[in-house]
Amino acid sequence: MITIQQIDSFIEKIPPSPKILQETLSLLNQGELIKAAKVAQNDSALNAYLKELVNKPVYGFKNEINEISQIFGILGVSGSQQAAYNYMISLLSPAKWKLFKLNKSSFYDLQAGLSAEWQKITTYLKIKDKDVQSAVALLPASIIVSEALFCERLNDVKLLRSVDEIDLNTILQRLCSMDLFDISQRIAQKWEMPQKIAGIIQASSGVKPSADETTDLLGKWMHLLLFYTLSKPAYIEAGLNDFIDFQIDYVSDIYEDFTKLMEIS
Amino acid sequence: MRAVIRDGIGVFHPQGFLDGSSGSSFLSIEDIDATLKSNASMILVSLKKVIFFNRNGLDTFVKMFQKVRSENHIIVGFCDYDKKKYDAFKKFYNNDLTFSLFKTQEIASLFADGFKEKNKNVLLYSEDKSQRAALAIELHDNGHNPIVAQTQEEFVQKTKVKGAYDVIIENTYLGQTGQKVATRVTGNAIIYTVSSFLDAEIGNTFNVAYHNNSLNVGFRLFIFDAYKVVSMNIHALNFFSKLASSSAEYNATICFVGMSFDKTPLAFKETLEDAGIMFFAQMDDILQNKKLLEELGASSMAAVKNKRALNKVLVTELPRFIDAAVTTIEMMTNSKAVKDAAKVDKIEIPDKDDKIASSIGFYGDIDGMVMLVFPLGIAKKACELLIGESTDDKELILDTLAELVNIVGGKVKTLLADEHISVDITLPRTYHNVDGLLEVAAGKKGVQVDLSFDNDKFLFFLTR
Repeated sequence: MITIQQIDSFIEKIPPSPKILQETLSLLNQGELIKAAKVAQNDSALNAYLKELVNKPVYGFKNEINEISQIFGILGVSGSQQAAYNYMISLLSPAKWKLFKLNKSSFYDLQAGLSAEWQKITTYLKIKDKDVQSAVALLPASIIVSEALFCERLNDVKLLRSVDEIDLNTILQRLCSMDLFDISQRIAQKWEMPQKIAGIIQASSGVKPSADETTDLLGKWMHLLLFYTLSKPAYIEAGLNDFIDFQIDYVSDIYEDFTKLMEIS
Repeated sequence: MRAVIRDGIGVFHPQGFLDGSSGSSFLSIEDIDATLKSNASMILVSLKKVIFFNRNGLDTFVKMFQKVRSENHIIVGFCDYDKKKYDAFKKFYNNDLTFSLFKTQEIASLFADGFKEKNKNVLLYSEDKSQRAALAIELHDNGHNPIVAQTQEEFVQKTKVKGAYDVIIENTYLGQTGQKVATRVTGNAIIYTVSSFLDAEIGNTFNVAYHNNSLNVGFRLFIFDAYKVVSMNIHALNFFSKLASSSAEYNATICFVGMSFDKTPLAFKETLEDAGIMFFAQMDDILQNKKLLEELGASSMAAVKNKRALNKVLVTELPRFIDAAVTTIEMMTNSKAVKDAAKVDKIEIPDKDDKIASSIGFYGDIDGMVMLVFPLGIAKKACELLIGESTDDKELILDTLAELVNIVGGKVKTLLADEHISVDITLPRTYHNVDGLLEVAAGKKGVQVDLSFDNDKFLFFLTR
C-alpha cells in the first residue's frame, strides 16, 4: 500500500523552485501580462518551453511566434497562466516513462491539446474565471504523479492487469486509496486553487457528479474532452485510453454541443 | 487491447471516439489471435463506451473480422449498442453486412457454443424475413425455444406480457445469411426498384448477372417498381428493350408498374410494349390477381439456354453444398440424414407425388444452381419452427421453404468465402410440384444426391 504521505511527498515536489517561474505566476495572477513576460524572459528553459508549446499545430498560428511578450499577449492572462502551469508540470515529467508509453514530446502534445481545447470550451461556455480556465492542467499533472506511483509497484500493477481486466484508475485506488481525480484535487489544493476547481475535477471523473449545476456542467465537458483527447492513436497506444472508465451516460446531454464545437463529423 | 472472455465470447471494449485513425490503435489482429488462443468461439467489439464512430473507424474492425472469420469460422461482430447506432450500421453497410450485430452481450451469448444455459424462451423480431428465419434456426440449433413475431405490432404486443420470455431479441443481425438484392413476393415474382432518371447509367447499376441467374433458376416474372421514375431516355429504352429480348428466350415476362409518361415520350411506351414489356398502374393489379400472377409467372417452357457441363471446381466444392443443405434441414427437422445414392446425370425423380421443390442460383467465381426436392411432410416439419405452428397452407409452406433455402444459400456463400471463393446468390425459387422444377432442370446434367430423413426421401441436385 502506498501511503498518503508518499503521495504528498511526491506532490510536494510539484511547485518547482525556480524563483522566476514563481514570480511569473504571481504576476499573471495579478493580471500583469507585460511585467510577467519581462520576468519570464530571464528563464531560458521557460522561454523554450513556451515557444515550443505555442507553435504546436493545435494552436493553429500560421507564423512562428518567438517573443515571450507576443506569446503572453496571444494567450491572454488565463492562457499564459495555464502555460506556466504546464511548464511547471513538465519539469516533473520523467525522463523515461515506464508504465505509460509516453515521451517528452507526446506528453507536451497532450498538455497542449487539452489546454487549447479546454480554452475553446470555456470560451464557448462564456467562462472567464482564469482558475477554471487553468483547471485542465491538473489532469496531465496527475498522470505524472500516477506514473510515479505505479512505478513504485510496477510488478504488482502488471500482475493485477494480467489476471483481470481492471482499469488502471481502480488499481491506483487499490494501491493508494486515491484515484486520478483525487490526486488532481490534491494538486489543486497544493496550488491553492479555489475549492470549486476541486469540484470540477471530481465531477470530471464521471462518477462523482456535483450538486452545483455549473460545476457539474464543467465536469461533463472535461470528462468528454478527456476521452476525446485520449481517443487519439498516440494516447491509446500509450495506455491512457483505458486508464479511467468512460461514463457515456454522464455526458449524453452535452454530446451534440461538443461535436459541433469540435467539428466532429 | 485485451478482451474479456466469458462463455466462450471474447469482447473488446474500446472507449471514446472511434474513427479511421484510432481504430487500429484500439485493436490489432494480434489482440484477436491472443483471444482465440484462449478458446473464444466468438469475437465481438462492444460499443457500450463508444460515443462516436464513423464508417472508417468501423471498417478497421470489419477488415480484421473478415480475416478472422475466414480463418477460424467463428461469429464476429459488434454488440452493446442502441437503436441509433444500429441504424447507423444499416446505413453504412446497407445490404452488405458481413458481420453480426447483437444488441447486448446477453443476446450474443445465446448464439455462442460455450453458453451453458439452454432452453431459454426467446421472443425475436426482425423486419427482415430472412433474418427472422436465420435467428430462429440458430437459436433452435443452440437448444433454445424461439418465438418469432411476424410483425412489429405482434412483437410489441408480445413484449407487454411480463415474464413470458427469458430474452427478447430485436435490432440484431446474423451476418452469415444470404444477401438481399431484390424483393421476392409470393408467386415467384422478382421486384426491382428503379427511380429518378433512367439513362445510360442503368447499364452499370442494374445487376445483369443477378438477373440472368434468376432466369437460370427459373424465375419468369420480373416487375420493375417505377413509381419514383421521373423520366427515361433513349439509352435506358435500348437497355430495357434488350433486357426484354434476352428474357424472352426464357419465356419470362417483364412488367413496369407505376411508370408515368409525363416527361417521357409516349412512343417509348409503345416501343417497350413491342419488345414484350407490360405496363400496370398499380402493384396490386398484378400481385392481387392470382390468376394473372400465375399466367405471367408460371414457367411454361424449359430453360433451354445455358446447358453447361459441371466443372471441376464445382464438383470439388460439392461436399460444402451438401453439408450446408443437410445440416440446415437436419436441424430444422430434428432428424438424421442418410445418404442413399449419388450420381452424375440428368435429374430423376421417381415418385413425384406430394413433393415440393425449391432452387437457388449462385454466381461469381463459380456459378451454378442447387435444387432441393422435399416430401411435403419434411417441408412442413422443417418450416414448423419458422412459422411457429403446424400448417397445411401450401403457399405459406412454400414461402417459408424459400426462406429456408435462402439460409442454405447464405451458408454456402459463407463456406465458399472461407475458401476465398466469392459468390452471390439469387433469391430462392419455389415450385408447387415437381413438374415445375423439371421444366427448368430438363436436359441439364448435374450431381444428384438422394438422402433419407427418417425414411422420407429428399433429393439434392447441383447443376449449372
